[in-house]
Amino acid sequence: MTVRYIRMHPTRALSSFLLYALLIVVAFCIGLPVFWFLISSIKTESEYIAYPIKFLPKVVQWKNYVDAVTLIDYWGYASHSLYLALMYSTLCLITSSAAGFAFARFKVRGSNTLFSIILAMMIVPGMVTLIPQFIVYSRLHLTNTYWPWFLWGVAGAPFHIFLFRQFFTTIPAQLEEAAEVDGCTPFRVFWQIFLPNSKPVLATSFIFNFSSTWSDWFGPLIYLDDKRTTLAVKINHGYQNAHGNPLMMPTLAAATIYALPLIILFFIGQKYIIQGVVTSGIKG
Amino acid sequence: MATAEVAVAQPERTARHIAPRVVRRTVAFYAFVAPWLICFVALDIIPIVLGVLTSMTDYDGLNLATVKWMGLKNYARAFTDSDVAYSFGRSVLWSAINTPTWIVLSFTLALILNQAVKGRDFFRTLYYLPSVVPVVAVARIWAIFLDTNNGLLNGILSLFRPGTAVRWLSDYALPACTAISVWGGLGGGMIIFLAGLQGIPQELEEAALIDGANKLRVFRHITIPLMTPLIFFQLIMALITSLQTFALPMIVYGGGAMTGGVARAVYLYVINTYRHIFAFQRFGYGTALLWLMSIVIMGLTLVVFRTARYWVYYESEAAGGAA
Repeated sequence: MTVRYIRMHPTRALSSFLLYALLIVVAFCIGLPVFWFLISSIKTESEYIAYPIKFLPKVVQWKNYVDAVTLIDYWGYASHSLYLALMYSTLCLITSSAAGFAFARFKVRGSNTLFSIILAMMIVPGMVTLIPQFIVYSRLHLTNTYWPWFLWGVAGAPFHIFLFRQFFTTIPAQLEEAAEVDGCTPFRVFWQIFLPNSKPVLATSFIFNFSSTWSDWFGPLIYLDDKRTTLAVKINHGYQNAHGNPLMMPTLAAATIYALPLIILFFIGQKYIIQGVVTSGIKG
Repeated sequence: MATAEVAVAQPERTARHIAPRVVRRTVAFYAFVAPWLICFVALDIIPIVLGVLTSMTDYDGLNLATVKWMGLKNYARAFTDSDVAYSFGRSVLWSAINTPTWIVLSFTLALILNQAVKGRDFFRTLYYLPSVVPVVAVARIWAIFLDTNNGLLNGILSLFRPGTAVRWLSDYALPACTAISVWGGLGGGMIIFLAGLQGIPQELEEAALIDGANKLRVFRHITIPLMTPLIFFQLIMALITSLQTFALPMIVYGGGAMTGGVARAVYLYVINTYRHIFAFQRFGYGTALLWLMSIVIMGLTLVVFRTARYWVYYESEAAGGAA
């Protein structure tokens, strides 16, 4: 019998115990508010305002979720959110990847200057353009339309151009040179060689843009009226009773359904996101 | 004869071959950046110029026909406006608390989850999840968690000290909002630091350990220096975003664009500015206020860039120094 017990050194056992204790404490701090929120969303109003607090509801109130999607035109507003998020992130993906490709692959007159502008725009505070843009759009009568999102999408985003440029510089030059010798146009090199080989970055960029547009609250708030606005604005103060007082229970349920697509999207794209962040090497 | 002909023909052919290639590549480059470049001029340059002009007028969003030129008066007014001074102070304090808290916590989490611990992927996912939640939902989640009477936090504290009814969102607005903001941003910071930590060559740390360095020294002299470029990047980004924060407190205190109900402790600079713009239609004065903050932010960014050479480690430089 030569069973050998591998015994942990006492100090190592202690440090591993402390590590797990820490991981679990942090997990609690992060998870507790969400847990409380989900529990609250299936309570009755009187259970919710009970003092001292009632931890669990007597009967699960799925009615809150029914109210959430029936008291307002929930799916209508959700479709606005979806439409804007899809439109913006698709357009932004096309423009940013194309520009990223250009900056990674062509060293021509003016390309360095333009790339410095991209870098500079990454650190210029967004509020510099937010209000002036709003003034321009409203003078052109484009507020209350979805045109601003279309144009923002076509414009691309400096950070995403940078992300694509970083990734594309890692693709070996031989690949492209060989294609060029074979008479491939730059567009075909981009479309048939670079894009198919960039799925992690494409997914990362798309998911980040989709999430930020879906989450955006201030844009729809100042640009769109009550009929055309998105879920982000509507959930914040859309649920009211006849006297204009906020209805808490459907609001909680609605916020839960509203956050769900992004969580699902994250789980679908999870492995791409981590890969995308690693390979694009955001290292300043 | 024959050789001479070849010698003449060769450069000509090469030149003919190269010149169109340069032109072709230049055309291709500008074709690929065209959508961005055109929109950059239309949506950034033109509005920025108009923004500078607006900040020197009394534009109220409507009075284009009768708009008055104010010169630098809007800027001068900002320096005597006590609300501006107060909210600027709050923003500086907010940034001074938020930036280090966020960087230290997300870096620590990344360090822990870079170890070979069981269930690592589970914890990574769990810690990242809050950053997926939209800000409107984040604000709700925390508003009911911190609620004075019905919130879970006071409920738990009441187990130890019955009847605890701390008014977190009004009496401790700054720490409460900081907690909310850090909670929402932790995952995003962590994932970038994790990417950086995975980029550190393992041989380097192993070699040092074999040479007899303990873990703390490896951390201090290898991990930290190699991570400084990323810490630098995160610091710049955190400064820029935290000084511009407005949405979170506005949603937590539920004032919409009117921003009336925001607690004084988190009455941040941009909130005060948006109040001027959207509640009082003072586009001219408001834009001037935005420019002042932008100048502060850009100045601060430059200062941080200047300090970089004292503490940020660049591989190429060190290699050059060693050679």
